[in-house]
Amino acid sequence: MSNHDQDPADFAAGFMDDYFAESDEHLTVVRRILVDVQPGPGGGLSPATLEELFRSFHSLKGLAGMVELKDAELLAHHMESYLRLLRGRGAVVTKAGLNALVKGTQLLEQVIAARRAGTASPSIAASVSDLERYSDPAANLQDAAGSETPATGRRRWRVTFAPSPELAGRGVNIDHIRTELKAIGSIVHAAPKIESDGSIRFEFLLEDVTDEAALGSLANDGLTLESLAAAAPAITGPARETPEDARGPLLTSSNFVRVDLGRLDELMRMIGDLVISRARLAESLTPLERRVPAIEWRPVQENSLAMERQLRDLREGVMRVRLVPVGEILGRMPFVVRDLERETGKTIDLQLSGQDTEIDKFLVERMLDPLVHLVRNAVSHGLEPADERVAAGKPPSGQLRVGAASVGDAVTLEVEDDGRGVDAAAVARRARAAGIPVPDGPLEPAALLDILCTPGFSTRDAADRAAGRGVGMDVVQRAVRELGGTLSLDTEPGQGTRFVIEVPLTLAITDAVIATVGGQTFAVPQSSIREVMEFSPAAVRALENHEIVPYRGRVLPLLRLAALFGLQPRPSRTLHAFLVGTGPAAVAIAVDRIQTQREVVVRPMADPLVKVEGVTGATDLGDGRVVLILDLLRVADRAGEFAAAGGTSSPAPIRRAR
Amino acid sequence: MKRIVIVDDSPTIRRMVRASLADIGADIFSEAGSGLEAIEQLTLGPVALMVLDLNMPDMHGIDVLKFVRRHPASRALPVLVLTTRGDEESRDLAMAAGATLYLTKPFQPHALADHARRLLSVQTGEERTVVEP
Repeated sequence: MSNHDQDPADFAAGFMDDYFAESDEHLTVVRRILVDVQPGPGGGLSPATLEELFRSFHSLKGLAGMVELKDAELLAHHMESYLRLLRGRGAVVTKAGLNALVKGTQLLEQVIAARRAGTASPSIAASVSDLERYSDPAANLQDAAGSETPATGRRRWRVTFAPSPELAGRGVNIDHIRTELKAIGSIVHAAPKIESDGSIRFEFLLEDVTDEAALGSLANDGLTLESLAAAAPAITGPARETPEDARGPLLTSSNFVRVDLGRLDELMRMIGDLVISRARLAESLTPLERRVPAIEWRPVQENSLAMERQLRDLREGVMRVRLVPVGEILGRMPFVVRDLERETGKTIDLQLSGQDTEIDKFLVERMLDPLVHLVRNAVSHGLEPADERVAAGKPPSGQLRVGAASVGDAVTLEVEDDGRGVDAAAVARRARAAGIPVPDGPLEPAALLDILCTPGFSTRDAADRAAGRGVGMDVVQRAVRELGGTLSLDTEPGQGTRFVIEVPLTLAITDAVIATVGGQTFAVPQSSIREVMEFSPAAVRALENHEIVPYRGRVLPLLRLAALFGLQPRPSRTLHAFLVGTGPAAVAIAVDRIQTQREVVVRPMADPLVKVEGVTGATDLGDGRVVLILDLLRVADRAGEFAAAGGTSSPAPIRRAR
Repeated sequence: MKRIVIVDDSPTIRRMVRASLADIGADIFSEAGSGLEAIEQLTLGPVALMVLDLNMPDMHGIDVLKFVRRHPASRALPVLVLTTRGDEESRDLAMAAGATLYLTKPFQPHALADHARRLLSVQTGEERTVVEP
């Protein structure tokens, strides 16, 4: 038998991805619960949540044991023991106990992360001895009145389900029924029973039914319904003399299927190929249009368009599968803030918003570090100590808002505080001292942000320990840019600071405008283009070394892509340009011709040798031609840098990548 | 046809159990992620062996076990309780409720396979064992 020869470590190795994914799920549950718990009597640990917490740690322990991650197993075991004690006595969590749980959870997360990354695991000794202390029944605990209020006087339904292979074949199984019932009411009890003929039935007690019509329609699924007027005592299921482990029914089964991201990527790649094939088909159909009678042409055309629409739906559908609520990372912020409160002695009111905003799974994981860093920055640099705040007429607790929102094809993540704002003069001073170029005159927020994000501009005061932790603003900006996003800053001295991260909802496929310059074709993501402009070459004026064009009562700097890329522009009677950027950063970027607008599949450029600033990737237009996808904002930035450094409007050409 | 029902709320553990038992001569594996699903499995066809976790969200494994023993069709079904170390009190309860074999997680794949193979071949429900790590 092959199993006999297998080393346990080898056996576990095959399940590590499952282990990490499932542990993540349990940790997410734990975090969600712990964040809401207030220490002391009346604090938020109801028997049901305590049970959920207990079970999560129990599962974490079991899983860690199977993959031989001893530290995680031990840690989870101690958390479980502590919770067992709380559970056994209906006890109240003390502040110290809650801290031990929070700390233990963070440590557990780190231990698992270290295993995942193959790095050294942090020591768990201190946390374990903490937990052991709180698990001493004599310490810290006091009895609390049971908070389980029996639900009475509400209308209840008894729903009986008779399972069968035939129903199961149709997908109607206990799990399905439970999900359906949960959608229309709350299940207060569920138990199997044996009928006199030996068949098995499941009985559910359903309360708070919101949609009785939906309930009625369930009869098709082998369900029988019975209305129970006022709530009678719950049906007794199988004897409940089992010990502590057998609590009341907790119906928390989830409806989620876990899918390897790699498989979704593969699916997305196939859809990408399909998009390209359809474009090819459309292209090869075009010359036929003139040769085929209109009456025969129309159905071809209609089918082709229908297919395009269906492909778009398919693409959106798959993309939606990849979306996860951003609450997954926002939910960690209270932990971060709680830590920071301890470290800095400041008190903070944290408001979270937009937890339901959905974002690509790939992005959500990569947004955590930048977000945590911005929150740390806000607390250690932005928010003032209480006395300073009171003197300034502000509430003593710092107000911190972390929110997410979706805006079209993009998602914004905001971190806003009502602190002292960024002191532009101080930043300028420090930048000059560090040898970082600083533009003259008052610093615009964008320029200020540029300085803050310059590598090497780090604040080294001891007080900044909290903000440090190895990640600087430059890392935040790089992370955001790598994902095709932007970072912006808004700050008002004395009033507060707001950082906004904007990232595309998903990667991979984007709507783009195709343009040519000097015989070369480029694609520009439509999301970065605010407007497409057309004007006569005569409208262009020279201002010192720059070219400007009039635009709605003001002027815009004009940047010629041909000059920037070292290409020979085609002379033409009208100039076409893209308007990108906002406010003072707005700029018109001239191209020779704007061809069309279409979906393109973004192929990232992974090879560092062909990585060029301003070029985000490449795409296949369907005719076999590979064209570059330009990040015009970055291109404009780069041109701006040259201008600021005293260059001309025609900076050194960016070398064309093949 | 020999069907093994694996009951555990952790999909990872279910996969591990399944992988461990791949070679013991079962024809079908069915998985159940909760106690109620485990009982539903009894209605969907004959079962040769049940591998049962104790700590589950909707119905405790001990209750599942009691139900299995109450039902005439599964009274003699070999049930291998496989639960995480630390449920010490549960061990006696599990045995009292009619567990055929009590094993703890973390388990050794080959040890689990050996026990399961034996239970599959005996199929009487007479033999009762507790295996301590």
